[in-house]
Amino acid sequence: MQRRNFIKNTSLTMAALMIQPSITFEQDTILGQGSKRYKINTHWSQADVARYPVNDCHEMIQDGKGRILLLTNETHNNVLIYDKKGKILDTWGHEYPGAHGLTLFDENGTEVLFICDNSRHQVIKTTIDGRVLMVLDYPKETGQYTKPEEYIPTETAITPGGDIYVADGYGKDFIIHYDASGRYLGYFGGRGNEEKHLLNAHGVCLDFRDKGQPNLIVTSRQQNAFKRYTLEGEYINTISLPGAWVCRPVIKGDYLYSAVLQTNSRQGEHSGFVTILDKNYKVVSNLAGSEPNYVDGKLDDMYQTVKCFSYPHDVCVDDEENLYIAQWNSGKVYPYKLSPVI
Amino acid sequence: MKKLFLPTLTFLFLNHCFAQQQFQLAPPVLQYHAAFFTGYATVTLKFAQPGTHIFYTLNNTEPTQKDVVYTKPVVINKSLTTFQAKVFGAGFLPSEKVQVTFIKDGLKIRSIEQPAANEKFAGNGPATLFDNEGGIADMHLKNFLGYLQDSVAVQVTLEKKHKVQSILLDFLQNESSWIFLPQSIRVYYYNANRNAYERIGEKTIASDSVMKGSAMVFEMVKFTKNVFADQFKIIIEPLQSIPEGHPGKGKQAWLFIDEIKIY
Repeated sequence: MQRRNFIKNTSLTMAALMIQPSITFEQDTILGQGSKRYKINTHWSQADVARYPVNDCHEMIQDGKGRILLLTNETHNNVLIYDKKGKILDTWGHEYPGAHGLTLFDENGTEVLFICDNSRHQVIKTTIDGRVLMVLDYPKETGQYTKPEEYIPTETAITPGGDIYVADGYGKDFIIHYDASGRYLGYFGGRGNEEKHLLNAHGVCLDFRDKGQPNLIVTSRQQNAFKRYTLEGEYINTISLPGAWVCRPVIKGDYLYSAVLQTNSRQGEHSGFVTILDKNYKVVSNLAGSEPNYVDGKLDDMYQTVKCFSYPHDVCVDDEENLYIAQWNSGKVYPYKLSPVI
Repeated sequence: MKKLFLPTLTFLFLNHCFAQQQFQLAPPVLQYHAAFFTGYATVTLKFAQPGTHIFYTLNNTEPTQKDVVYTKPVVINKSLTTFQAKVFGAGFLPSEKVQVTFIKDGLKIRSIEQPAANEKFAGNGPATLFDNEGGIADMHLKNFLGYLQDSVAVQVTLEKKHKVQSILLDFLQNESSWIFLPQSIRVYYYNANRNAYERIGEKTIASDSVMKGSAMVFEMVKFTKNVFADQFKIIIEPLQSIPEGHPGKGKQAWLFIDEIKIY
């Protein structure tokens, strides 16, 4: 064989070898059950890790321009702004070492953000491009706190009128209520042995699906449950999610989505998945998790079945029903994108 | 160059479109009341993922797709049977295996006296070490006695004198929680003729810092000869110095024990 031909053939062989694994794996991985099935893309983010590093990817939202905002506790760039194809459009933020909760609010036509910072023990309201508008310190007005360190807010929910509910999910598990100007109005939740109490109140959201009776859904993660309350903080009921360490509830359309950080049966073993509930709070699909099974109305233990997520921490649903999954403590991976299978 | 261009382009295209990694299935959920049994034990598996099958073995080999497909709970009645299971499914890499060894009850024990365990891991009453409960690798279960001390001396009294040839001790191993196997076990029996305890068996165990996850490990101490006795003293020496490569290097390790059997 002549040297030229050898090189040519070798190159072709090498190219073929390189293609081979791709062909083997070309079948998409489909996650979930029933009408809520998705194709996963772990290479959605096109961010250059040297320029746009992330640490824990905690939460994501889509803004009115269709952009996807990611909040990370990497102070090189606390907020990464993507387009839906995964291209970085912009970044901002260096002063949120404990960046955790990210909530979008349309304030009379102008979009603003609420960031919960675990390390700063504060909630910070900013413009969409990061200018600080308001800072809420630890809620000493409740009489439940003596110093900032006791307060480790994880999430906010904002009513259409601008009222703010803060979940102290890594602190004392109270939900603290403020008006739009940041004036303290009250609190509820906290730890205890009654149904109304919370343990690891990691997330909070407003549920307007029942038009007549809007309510608050609060995570009680170590109890593997969501708990519903009136906007006045009166306990309504518990949605039990056996085995699932649910993060914040995210409502889009008729459905409630939530990242499950890990499962009881394999704690500390990267055993997370994503769960989807219908408007009757019934689990209809688990992405990378067990097919939901109700026996006499009671949900069986849920667990991971496919190891594609480590510790998923939030779900963002975009205007085309795609999901973006941000992960905590998962090797600094960028978010994954999941597209619905029709 | 022209000839190289097309394959390269094809590669880049395919890579871009299809370079999704193949995912591994998670291990099946393994459920059993306890790893210890008198008559028989039942083991149940759960894995609600359509298109997958669980395969299991009872002969100490890693399950393959040629082994038995799990369809219903499996009954175990032979001591020291190791049940291993693994999930397979098209389009996914097979899961890691799960396993448990079932241990049949030994000679009837009247009492076991042991030093008070750490208050956070104080067990489940005086019968903790011979109640046939446990064998589940979850450090928070009440079946364990947890110790952080130089040595643990345990006194075992049988219901009556028997010919005895070995002792089994069941431990939790969970390196990430600083729980290691003991470094040595020494067994003495009461020799009534001499009115003294005499050493009849011992075992030393080497530890490394490799994180193996949370697992149950039993240690069998075979006696140097069969003895006819009803009283035994077991001196368990927890690992005194956690090995290099572990965050707790050089420090004392925890000892977690949940059962003792005499055969």
